[in-house]
Amino acid sequence: MADTYCPDCKRPTEVVFDHSAGDTVCSECGLVLEAHSIDETSEWRTFANESTDNDPVRVGGPSNPLLADGGLSTVISKPTGASGDFLTTSLGRWQNRGSNPDRSLIQAFKTIATMSDRLGLVATIKDRANEIYKKVEDQKPLRGRNQDAILAACLYIACRQEDKPRTVKVANGATKKEIGRAKEYIVKQLEVELGQSMEMGTIHAGDFLRRFCSHLGMNNQAVKAAQEAVQKSEELDIRRSPISIAAAIIYIITQLSEDKKLLKDISLSTGVAEGTIRNSYKDLYPYAARIIPSWYAKEDDLKNLCSP
Amino acid sequence: MAARRNNPSGIVPTIQNIVSTVDLDCVLDLNHIAQHSRNSEYFPKRFSAVIMRIKDPKTTALIFASGKMVCTGAKTEAQSKLAARKFERIIQKLGFPAKFRDFRIQNIVASCDVQFTIRLEKFACTSHGAFSTYEPELFPGLIYRMKQPKLVLLIFVSGNVVIAGAKKRDDFYTAFDNIYPVLAEFKK
Repeated sequence: MADTYCPDCKRPTEVVFDHSAGDTVCSECGLVLEAHSIDETSEWRTFANESTDNDPVRVGGPSNPLLADGGLSTVISKPTGASGDFLTTSLGRWQNRGSNPDRSLIQAFKTIATMSDRLGLVATIKDRANEIYKKVEDQKPLRGRNQDAILAACLYIACRQEDKPRTVKVANGATKKEIGRAKEYIVKQLEVELGQSMEMGTIHAGDFLRRFCSHLGMNNQAVKAAQEAVQKSEELDIRRSPISIAAAIIYIITQLSEDKKLLKDISLSTGVAEGTIRNSYKDLYPYAARIIPSWYAKEDDLKNLCSP
Repeated sequence: MAARRNNPSGIVPTIQNIVSTVDLDCVLDLNHIAQHSRNSEYFPKRFSAVIMRIKDPKTTALIFASGKMVCTGAKTEAQSKLAARKFERIIQKLGFPAKFRDFRIQNIVASCDVQFTIRLEKFACTSHGAFSTYEPELFPGLIYRMKQPKLVLLIFVSGNVVIAGAKKRDDFYTAFDNIYPVLAEFKK
């Protein structure tokens, strides 16, 4: 039921859509406004446990605007049953070997998908990363750096743009330095293209805190205390990377509670070296009274805190 | 160079390093130079230039086979020129017809301390964010690329500021004049 203009009645009338015949009919005079409308919903319902042998679906996957031709392609498949014919079996192989302009792009997208799966990232971030990669792909200066670093940097930038930053250590084989350099380069490229609209705020310890706490399985009280502590610590003049500060605060909070976490565990889940956590702890210790919220730990507990 | 009274704070950046180049205008035999001078090293597999050092002024020179030379480590412009001339003298004494053409200072690095701590995160968020790069995970200092004059400043939380990329002394005086009031805004 919709309101559209009917040419016969010459005024907007109630229009009915008849699904069985695919007609759009005016309810006043019966004039058929549109016939044979094409139903764009899916033809068959798909279930996860169904075998792929008898799959009646006639359409492919969603079209990917990032690929050269929207991802459309035709593939020569092997005929079912008889497979003695050399020509039919080889045709498929030969067609695949032909040059595919998107080959490297598809490969890169696959790698980004694997990485984002490992980190548990949403499809939004993955798509963003794909876009970014497409923009910077195949530029000459980029050829020098290794592929992993570039992909990891794309993912890192995508996370930052969505305000869900991840630590740089999080990606694989490439070193932090490589990823950092790739990231700088990509950001410069993007700024040139978009005309300087790249707004990536600086990272704060609080962004990562929630994630680290849940990795370690801290209880709600502890998590809240840690978040408050991080807020307060922003006022202080601590010259350490925000990640290290987050790790040190988690260490202090867990030391104060019953459920003490080992330095090793914290180091593993945050990616900060044990020595760095110890040093950050040394820096934070003098201010412990100020940053730890009073409802969580009393003065005497703080005295119990081992002095570094 | 008269003493510069640039801004009310009275802080003047001090030069830490000057890099200059000069053309000796003759082809050099690096092996010969390396063998016949005692303060040089030459490993062609590693780098295709002779690395020579002199004690006064305490500087290092990279001498290439084409006759071009890079002189680093001097603390003032005059020292840099003097050092380059000393190197040229050494090459002359070794038997090459070296001249002193196109002495140019390529890069001056200076540093100073503004005496107060700075809020870098706030800095990067404001209108100056377009020129700043602050990535605490990667590097603890904020990298500020100034357009006019074109050079780079590294600004640290402690208040230390490193200015690099200047070709003349005036450049970095101007740069510091420009940046000081901005930094004062973000005093912690």
